[in-house]
Amino acid sequence: MNRVPPSQEQPEDVDDQYRRASALDPSRPSEAVRRAVLAHAARLAAERATRIEGSKTKSTRTAVNQAWWRPAILGTLAAAALAGLMIAPRFLVEAPRAQGTRPNTAPALVAQAPDTRAEERAPSAPALGPERTAKPGASTRNADVLSHTGGARPKVSARASSGAAPVAAAAQSTDAMVGGASQQRAPRNTSVATAITAVPRISEAPADPAAAVRRAAEIGDLSGLQMLLEKQTDIDSPDAAGRTALMLATLHGHTDAVAALLAHGADPNAAAADGTTPLQAARAGDHPAIVAALQRYGAR
Amino acid sequence: MGLYARGDAAAFVVLYRRHEARIWRYLERNVRNRATADELMQEVWFAVARDADRYEPTSRFTTWLFTIARNRMIDSIRTSPQQVSLETLGYEGELVVQQLTTEPNVGPLDAVVVRDQAAALRQAIGQLPREQRDAFLLQIEGDFSVEEVATITQSSFETTKSRLRYARTKLRELLSEHA
Repeated sequence: MNRVPPSQEQPEDVDDQYRRASALDPSRPSEAVRRAVLAHAARLAAERATRIEGSKTKSTRTAVNQAWWRPAILGTLAAAALAGLMIAPRFLVEAPRAQGTRPNTAPALVAQAPDTRAEERAPSAPALGPERTAKPGASTRNADVLSHTGGARPKVSARASSGAAPVAAAAQSTDAMVGGASQQRAPRNTSVATAITAVPRISEAPADPAAAVRRAAEIGDLSGLQMLLEKQTDIDSPDAAGRTALMLATLHGHTDAVAALLAHGADPNAAAADGTTPLQAARAGDHPAIVAALQRYGAR
Repeated sequence: MGLYARGDAAAFVVLYRRHEARIWRYLERNVRNRATADELMQEVWFAVARDADRYEPTSRFTTWLFTIARNRMIDSIRTSPQQVSLETLGYEGELVVQQLTTEPNVGPLDAVVVRDQAAALRQAIGQLPREQRDAFLLQIEGDFSVEEVATITQSSFETTKSRLRYARTKLRELLSEHA
């Protein structure tokens, strides 16, 4: 170890003196700090252990737990239905025109293809991503098919009324998934798979973070409170009765929540509308640990 | 640290107990305010617990720990208004008396001697310029080499060495005056 080289005198005597004095100095952080630190660490350890355990479980059930399986199924179903809708009428239209010029075996085979494909592919959907089933050119090609079957539209539409059911179902399931929350729906003339993947995720952020902080403090949800406090929420925002999160945690005797709020800068003197301070509330509720914590942070 | 990062809460308790006193003295003797030191202590260990899975054992744990402590302390000094503590108002001696006389293993005579030495030392440390005090406390509490102190304080080796030398010279002067 590269220590400071001794100067003319002996610097170590100062170090020794310091160490002797320190060894006999019982000064330590307060018990509340120690408890808060160890409680926080224990909670994080529990969360980590749960997470690790969860990931082990996931790794054994990959097919079920993969995040992409749901869009993959929907995408596959939608693409299969769309292909069925587009391809079936083509052969239905061609069949009468080709009578006498082409053998009738192919249309007969292909006419049944969409439904069987749709049914057959559905179970294997998780193994395929939406990008593999919904090919980029499919919608334009299918649009061409529709535009070139002008004379046969009645037949197409007649057939499409039954063939369109999977598409409608897919679209409805998409709507149901969004729950009406989405205002940005992809146009229907694009690939259904694209429309599904374009659906925005529903935000999980609480509508009123300050109210969420108060609620977490009130019920003593320390982990929730910590998460909210780390997001720079207005910590001293009062409710209708003028009670801050700190006041609510104090009233309900949640010592850890009080410690967390104080550690995150909650005003220890923010009084409720009736003038009661957190310190008064803690004394009235006979919460000595909270009284001590508040006083340490300058509560009056 | 690795054990704790994998969810072993007991490993953190061991870690905390091992380093509690040293980190506490480093903070408390730098900021010279018990309440602020308490607050910093909590912040430092919260950060250690939170970032445990990001800790890479490329350097000693104490280096990482004292770096966090020092950064928190500097942030606190920058953002907080000047705080007036009992210590800065001249009550330091009283505090030390109170702390030392409650120590059960120290006899009355020893208590007087230690109290006297501790008070003098704390007072002398408090009189050091901030950079010298920081470097000295880092080295003695963290048991760091000059290079390690230089790394933590982001200073050059020579500057750090000078700070440490000046700090010790000044301490010796102040303590000899006291004696």
